[in-house]
Amino acid sequence: MTKEDTVKLISAEGFEFVIDKEAAMVSQTIHNMLTSPGSFAETEHGEVTFPEISTTILEKICQYFYWHLQFASGKETEFTIEPELTLELMMAANYLHT
Amino acid sequence: MTVLRSRVVLPTKTTLKSSKTRISGIEPVTPTQTHEPSSILLPLPTTTNPSSSSPNKPTNSCPGNSGLGSDAVPVSGAIRRRSLRLASRVDSAEVANESLIFDRRREGEEGNYSVLGTYLVEEDKAGIDISKDIGAPSMSVELSGKMSLDSIGDTVRVLEVKDGKVLFVEDSDAEGGGNGPGLRQEVVQVNQVDVKSLDEDRSNFTGGGSRSKFKNAKGKRKMGIDVRLGTEYAGDEGSKRFLNLRSGKLISKIGTDTVVDKNEDLRKDDEYSRNNISAKRIRGIEIEGKGKGKLGKDDLLSNGEAVRLDVEFGIDNLMGDVVGVDSFQSISVRKMEEEDKREFGCSGELGVVTENLEQGPSGAENSTLKRRRFSREEKGKGALADTGGSLSTVSHAVELDLISKINGSGDYANSPANHLSINVALQDERQFRSTSTREGVSRRNEYMERFRDIARENASRFAHFSREEEAENDNHLSPDAEVDREIEDWPGPFSTAMKIIKDRTMKSSKKVCSSSGKSVPKPITWVPKKGQSNIPAKLLVPSLQELCIMILAKHVDAIASLESVPDALRNKLSQLLCDSRRMNNHFFELLVRGSPTEICLRDCSWLTEEQFVKSFQGCDTSNLAVLQLDQCGRCMPDYVLLDTIAQSSYRFPGLTNLSLTGACRLSDLGLGALVSSSPVLRSINLSQCSLLTYASINILSDSLGSLLRELYLDDCQSIDAMLSLPALKKLEHLEIFSVAGLETVCDQFIREYIIACGHNIKELVLRDCVKLTDSSLKVIAEQCSKLCALNLMNLCKLTDSSIGYLANGCRAIHTLTLRRNAFSDEAIAAFLETSGEFLSDLSLNNVKKVGRNTAISLSRHARRLHSLDLSWCRSLSDDAVGLIVDSCSSLMVLKLFGCTQITDVFLNGHSNSRIQILGLKMTSLLKCVKVPHPQEGPLHYSSLSCSI
Repeated sequence: MTKEDTVKLISAEGFEFVIDKEAAMVSQTIHNMLTSPGSFAETEHGEVTFPEISTTILEKICQYFYWHLQFASGKETEFTIEPELTLELMMAANYLHT
Repeated sequence: MTVLRSRVVLPTKTTLKSSKTRISGIEPVTPTQTHEPSSILLPLPTTTNPSSSSPNKPTNSCPGNSGLGSDAVPVSGAIRRRSLRLASRVDSAEVANESLIFDRRREGEEGNYSVLGTYLVEEDKAGIDISKDIGAPSMSVELSGKMSLDSIGDTVRVLEVKDGKVLFVEDSDAEGGGNGPGLRQEVVQVNQVDVKSLDEDRSNFTGGGSRSKFKNAKGKRKMGIDVRLGTEYAGDEGSKRFLNLRSGKLISKIGTDTVVDKNEDLRKDDEYSRNNISAKRIRGIEIEGKGKGKLGKDDLLSNGEAVRLDVEFGIDNLMGDVVGVDSFQSISVRKMEEEDKREFGCSGELGVVTENLEQGPSGAENSTLKRRRFSREEKGKGALADTGGSLSTVSHAVELDLISKINGSGDYANSPANHLSINVALQDERQFRSTSTREGVSRRNEYMERFRDIARENASRFAHFSREEEAENDNHLSPDAEVDREIEDWPGPFSTAMKIIKDRTMKSSKKVCSSSGKSVPKPITWVPKKGQSNIPAKLLVPSLQELCIMILAKHVDAIASLESVPDALRNKLSQLLCDSRRMNNHFFELLVRGSPTEICLRDCSWLTEEQFVKSFQGCDTSNLAVLQLDQCGRCMPDYVLLDTIAQSSYRFPGLTNLSLTGACRLSDLGLGALVSSSPVLRSINLSQCSLLTYASINILSDSLGSLLRELYLDDCQSIDAMLSLPALKKLEHLEIFSVAGLETVCDQFIREYIIACGHNIKELVLRDCVKLTDSSLKVIAEQCSKLCALNLMNLCKLTDSSIGYLANGCRAIHTLTLRRNAFSDEAIAAFLETSGEFLSDLSLNNVKKVGRNTAISLSRHARRLHSLDLSWCRSLSDDAVGLIVDSCSSLMVLKLFGCTQITDVFLNGHSNSRIQILGLKMTSLLKCVKVPHPQEGPLHYSSLSCSI
C-alpha cells in the first residue's frame, strides 16, 4: 500500500486514522478536498484534520466508509450505531456529506 | 335479445308487402303523396301477438342484396305500422349492392291506423334509385337532392343522397296530414351513429340477427343498445362482426308541457375496411316528444318524437354499413345539418338500414306512462357493395335488428334525470355542430377522427353517469365551441405541431392497418437492453446520515437536546417522526426550546391544546422564520392562538413562512391576530382552514399587501372566490397562488384576477376547480408570461385548446401537473413538441388518452425532464415507456402507479440506471410525498432578501 493510496484523517484529539483513499472518497466532503484543483495541504499530503470531530466519532465514520464499500459491492450487512453516538455522528455525517 | 324491464313484449307478426317504386337518379323533389288520409285503408294482415316472445322476428324480410321491392309489408289492423325502407345501392359491380332499408312499423294504440311504407332507395352508379313502397295510401317521396317522404303524418326526407356519399334521411314528423287519432309524433334524432364493428378484421357479417338492449332505469334512463349486425359478404368466408350500438339515454317526460325526450346516443362505429378504414358514425339518437296526450284520446300532437338519424359515412374505401335506428313511431334519418353538405368522398358506400318499429300496442303505454313499453324492432338488411375496385364484388348484407323495450313505471316527467339527459342531448348536438361546422369540408380524415373523438367522449360519459358532470357540461359549451374555432383559425406552433402529429398518425395507421378497420398505430420500436437484465442496478447505499436519523427516530425519547443541530436535520427528523406517528410532546419541546429559527411539524394532530400552550408559551420566537404546524386543527382554536401569540404585538418579528393547514378551528379573528403579529410574512398556507372566509383575505391584503409572495387557500370551503377578489387583487406580488378545491372559483374569477395580477404569477394551482373551462386557460396563457408551474388536476372541462393556449402562451412552464384531464394524445404530444424542452416535472396521471404520440414526443423533446408521472396511463406499452426512459436522459423519477401493463421487459430492459421507478413494485410511498428540499430556500421562486 503506497502512500498515494491512503489518506490520513486526524481527529480533534489528534488521533490519526490512515485509511484507503477509496474509502475516504465515500465522503463527498473529503472527496472534494482531495480532488480539488490547486495545491491544498490536504491534496498534497493526503491528510485531513477534523478539529470538530471527536476520535470515537471519526473512528465510527471510518468504519462506515469501509462498510459502504462492502455494501456497494453487494455484501449487505447492517451497520450498527450505538445510540449514544448517534446525534453527534449525524452531525458529523452531515458535515462530511456521507 | 335482452329486454330490460319489459313487461310484455309485443311482437306483431306481420308480413310486409311492399310494392316497390323506383325512382331513379336524383330527381327533383316530387311531393307526390303527401298525405295519407286513411291509414285505415291498409290491409290488416296477420295477427299481432302482443305477448309474443319474438319481437325480433324479422317481420320484414328484406332480401339482402337488392332489397328492392321484394319486401312485402302487411300491416295488421290494430297495429299501425310504417315500414320505411331505404335501399340504396351503389353498384359498380353487379354483386355490389348496398341497400338502405328502413323498415318501420308502428303500432299505435288505436288499431285503425296503420301505415305501411317501404322506401327503397337504390343507388346506382349513375344515380340514385329510390323505390318506395307504401302500403299506406298516402305517402310522398321527394327525391332529388332532397327527398322527402311523407307518410302518415310523417315526413320523411332523404336529404342529399349523393352517390352514396351522404345519405340523409330525415323524418320530421311534422304531422302529416293524415295523423290518425291518437297519433303521436315522435322525433327521434340520431345525431350520429357510429357503427363500429368489433371485429374489424373480418369483413363479413354473418347472421342476420341484431340485438339491442335497452336499459331503462327509472330515475335515469339509459338506453344501451347493442346491436348486432349480421352481414353477409358474398366473397368472404363467414366471419362475424358485431355492431355495437350504444344508446345514451332515453328520457321521456309527459305532462302538458312535458317533453318526452328520448335521447339515444347510438354510437355505432363500424370501421370496416379491407383496404382502408371505413368509418361510419351514427351518433346519438334523440327522441324528443313533446306535448302530452292521453293515448286513449285522439291527440294528434300528443307526443312528438323525432328521430333523427345521422349517418355519416366517411370511408375511403368503404364497405358500407348498416345503421338501423328506430324510434317509437316515426323515424327520420337525417343528416344532422342540412346546411353543410358534407360529402364524404366514399366511392362506394352503401348503407342498409332497415328499421322496423314496433310499438307496443296498448295505448296505456304512452298515455299513462305507467308500464309503458316500447318494443322496437329494427331490422336492417342490406347488401353493401363497394365500388372501390378491390371489393367490388363483395356484397354486404347487414341485418340490424333492434328491439327496445321501455318499460317505465310512474312518470318520468319530474325526474331530474330527464333534464340532464336532455341537456346532454343538446350538448351532444351542439358539440356535433360546432365541430362539424368547424371542419367544413376540409378533410375527411380529420373529420372522421373528430367524430370518433366525440363519440369516445360521450362513451365515457355514458359509461359513468354523473348528473353533476352532465349538468355542468352543458353550461359552458358555447365558449368551448368558440374557443375551438379560434384555436383552429390561428396557426400557432401548437396547432402546427398538432397537425403534423395527426398527419403522422394517419400515415402510420394507413400503412399498418390492412385488414383491420381500426387504425392501429405503428408500434413503437424500442429494443430492451440485453445482457444486464439480471444484474441488479447499483445498490443504493444508505448514507450515514440516514442511518443516524433512523436510529435517532427510534430513540427519540432519549434525545436530550437538539441544540446546534442544523435546521435541515431537525426538519428531517421531525418529518420522519411525524410520518411514523412517533412525534410526541418531548420532541416538540426539544424543537421549541431555545430560540429556534424553524419549527416544522407536518402533523400536529397528536398535539393537544394544553401541550401546545405549555410548550409554546416559553418559546423564544424572536428568531423564528419558518413555522409549520400542519394538521393543527386540534390544538389551535382561536383562544389558544390568542393566548400564545397575542401576548405581544410583534410576537413573530421575523416570521416569513407560516403554514397552518387543517386549522379547522381557526377563524378570521385568530388569523387576524396572527397576521398582525407577523409583519414580514411572505408565505402563508391556510389550506383546509374551513372557517376562514373572505374577511381573512381582506386581513391579509390589508396588513401584508405587497409583501406576500405565496398564498395557499386549498379547500377553504368558506372562502368565496368572487367576494375575496378585490382583496386578492391587492396582493399584487403574489407568485404562488393556490386555490385548489375552491368550488367558487369560476372563469370570471380567474379572468379578473389574472388580468390584474397575472403578470407576477409563477405558480398556479387550480386543482379541482371544476368549473373552469378553456376560457380561463386562455386568459392565463395570455397574461401569465412568467408562469412556471401549473396544476390542472381534475379539470374535466378543459379541452385540447387549453393545452394549445399553454403551449403558445406560457413558454416558461417547467412543471405541469395534469390528472384526469380529457386532453388527447395528440394535444399533449403537440405541447411537448413546442414546450417539452423546458419541462422538468410532468404529471400525466390518469390522462387516459395518452399514448404513443405522447411517448414519441417525450422521447424527442423532454431532455430536461426530471420527474414524470405516467400513472394510470394504461395505453402505454412497455415499448413506449422504455423509449421514454431511455431517451429522457435527465429522468430520475418515474411514477407508474396502476400501470399493470408494464412488465419486466421494461423493468429489466431500460438503460437508465439512475431512475427511480415508483408504483410498480412495492415501494415506500412516503418517499414519494413531496417535501420541500431541505436546502431549498423558504420561498420557492424568490429569495427572502430580495423580497424583503
